[in-house]
Amino acid sequence: MNQPGFTLDVDHNEYLAEGARDINAVLTVTMAGTVPESPAGETDTAEIIIIDCSGSMGSPGSKIAEARAACSAAVDVIRDGVAFAMIAGTHKAAAFFPEDGSLAVAGPQTREAAKKAVARLRPGGGTAIGVWLRLAHQMFTSHPARLRHTILLTDGIDESESSDDLDAAIKLCEGVFSCDCRGVGTDWRVSELRRVSAALLGSVDIVPDPAGLAADFSAMMAKSMGKRVADVSLRIWTPQHASISLKQVAPAVEDLTSRRTESGPQIGDYPTGAWGPGETRDYHLAVQVSDPYAVGQQVRVARVSLVAASSDGPEVLGEKGVLAIWTDDEALSTRINQRVAHYTGQEELAQAIQEGLEARRQGDKDTAEAKLGRAVALAHQSGNEETAKLLVKVVDVVDAATGTVQLKKKVEDADEMALDTRSTKTVRTRK
Amino acid sequence: MAASAMAASGACLDCGKPVGATDSFCESCGAELAPLSVSDGRGGGPRACEVCPASNISADGYCEACGRKVRSGRDHQEIDLGMVAGVTDRGLRHYRNEDAMALATADAGNGPAVVAVVCDGVSTSAHSDQASLAAVRAGADVLLAAVRTGGDPLTASRAAVRAAADAVARLAVPTGDPPSSTFVSAVLRSDAVTVCWLGDSRAYWLADRAAAAEQLTRDDSVAEQMVADGLLSEADALASAQGHVVTRWIGADVSDPAPHVVRFEPPGPGAVLLCSDGLWNYQPEPAKLAELALPAAIADPLGAVRALVGFALEAGGMDNVTAVLAPFPLLGLPWPDRCQRPGGLT
Repeated sequence: MNQPGFTLDVDHNEYLAEGARDINAVLTVTMAGTVPESPAGETDTAEIIIIDCSGSMGSPGSKIAEARAACSAAVDVIRDGVAFAMIAGTHKAAAFFPEDGSLAVAGPQTREAAKKAVARLRPGGGTAIGVWLRLAHQMFTSHPARLRHTILLTDGIDESESSDDLDAAIKLCEGVFSCDCRGVGTDWRVSELRRVSAALLGSVDIVPDPAGLAADFSAMMAKSMGKRVADVSLRIWTPQHASISLKQVAPAVEDLTSRRTESGPQIGDYPTGAWGPGETRDYHLAVQVSDPYAVGQQVRVARVSLVAASSDGPEVLGEKGVLAIWTDDEALSTRINQRVAHYTGQEELAQAIQEGLEARRQGDKDTAEAKLGRAVALAHQSGNEETAKLLVKVVDVVDAATGTVQLKKKVEDADEMALDTRSTKTVRTRK
Repeated sequence: MAASAMAASGACLDCGKPVGATDSFCESCGAELAPLSVSDGRGGGPRACEVCPASNISADGYCEACGRKVRSGRDHQEIDLGMVAGVTDRGLRHYRNEDAMALATADAGNGPAVVAVVCDGVSTSAHSDQASLAAVRAGADVLLAAVRTGGDPLTASRAAVRAAADAVARLAVPTGDPPSSTFVSAVLRSDAVTVCWLGDSRAYWLADRAAAAEQLTRDDSVAEQMVADGLLSEADALASAQGHVVTRWIGADVSDPAPHVVRFEPPGPGAVLLCSDGLWNYQPEPAKLAELALPAAIADPLGAVRALVGFALEAGGMDNVTAVLAPFPLLGLPWPDRCQRPGGLT
């Protein structure tokens, strides 16, 4: 299969000072074009919506009602021909549409049938997210579609299984399907859902008010309908004995370093999930060589390929070398690459927020104010206004430029969780 | 026309007819017998990695184990035309070679002649590697045409500098200082040597009696000026921060390059050396250079010039190194047999 145009660009200062070992580069991957009209007889996309039906979803009653409305809204966005199903999750998992655990083909009749099934959902039972994921895995793997996506909604803590059970289920599903996670209300745990979304290459967010669910579900489903290419990986060669870290840095920070699978001598693959036309993502590649090279030596410190899985085997969509030249000319080696610097700042911003919130939970006021203050300063400098707005709901800003802040006396749980879930959102720089 | 129409047997490879000992073109078919040889990177394919000799080299010239760019193309080139030989090397501290050389042998009507040009791209300017390459090719083309038609070497040398300057000026640059380069040329005929230069690439006469060796050029550099003005000793001037800044060059920012041209009649046997500062930085003294190059330079110019470049690399290789040696009197006989195939890069 011939994939539509992907471009891969590398941006970095290729000059390294004598004795230096670290090379930092921003990789930009773009899929060209706009989303075409839905192809007739679509068979390559499959969607499963997983709805928490535990007992707590019934209090207040608006939660289950809005969840039902959100499911129906998402079903309306599914294109004709796409395979889809829905799972009701408690301490068990039950396919409630289609009830036989297969995937239905979207069309006017199946959409109506699905919405009728949604209306019959009733709360009652516990929460075992790993069990829900295992059922989704089983349903997806008995279907040929390769663009596999789930939306998972919960309102509480994963209390009906052990943490290891959840980890094992996540591991089983890695690389099989992607999962966008949503927590409704404030009784769920951000770190728990982040484990799922990070491993399954999806997003995590809070929907504090159940009334916001329908719009959010429609948007997530529409975005998923725009995907066209499944299972794209960054394949990276590095010199012998080099160590490597790879993070997605836009649109959000996501550390992919531990997601590496070896695919050849000195070569590892890092999954990036599914792509849609017009999509651009940036990655921060850091390579540390075991020993500095001699001044004057030109070295390829990484060779990056973009690889798509296809029925005929891996297909290379693009390839770029990351070159480095060791020099004793300080005017060259001290040049700051603006994009590398920008994203290094955005990574630090996300980390400062997460560490600051953790310190706040531990009651360590000094550390919390120092970390969140640093976050305010970084958000201010980089023009990350969305994050700045979330920060001022948790801290009173004395001076944004220097990052002087005081913890607010009273903070809404929803505001803290929104800051936590959205701490990884970054702003892009111009190229 | 074929670029390699010469046979060691003295017959034209294109038409098979015999060629005269000093012919530049085949009298029968007109094929060029001894065209210009330029250090343009062709023929210098990727070699093995110096650090991981057993590893594979990628098509674009990088070691698949350690990532090092393997020496190839212009990184190290040797040209041996028998009567003249040159070696250019990236050195140990620069990542590319911004020196270039062009060599040719020719029939000057009354005997053989040698043309040699060395240029050193000014590394603070853009595309300096392309500038030096364009300059040597354009300059040597003019000199070669002139010696073949019996032109005056002094006039031809000035024309060669103009042609080289025009070629450099034609290189497009998006940003930064326009490309620029030094220039030094030598035309050797049976009676005399004509040397022409701008900048700090040098020509030396290396007499077989070392004490009689002399520098034929005076640098266009801040250091030279300071010495001439009696401000500093040569050693102190060269060691000063601005000492190596050149005060004349060819480039788009110089509308009328004013080269120096001298005619020199060697008093006895020896060799003419052209070199970039990557060599003379480690040994500026004519007598010492003569000791390094002679007597090998008389019978084996390639061996001698390899020794000179090897000396500069041993000494530190801080800059690109280029050296060209042409024995005088010219190694005249039987010169088509001595002459490697054009573009005979090893």
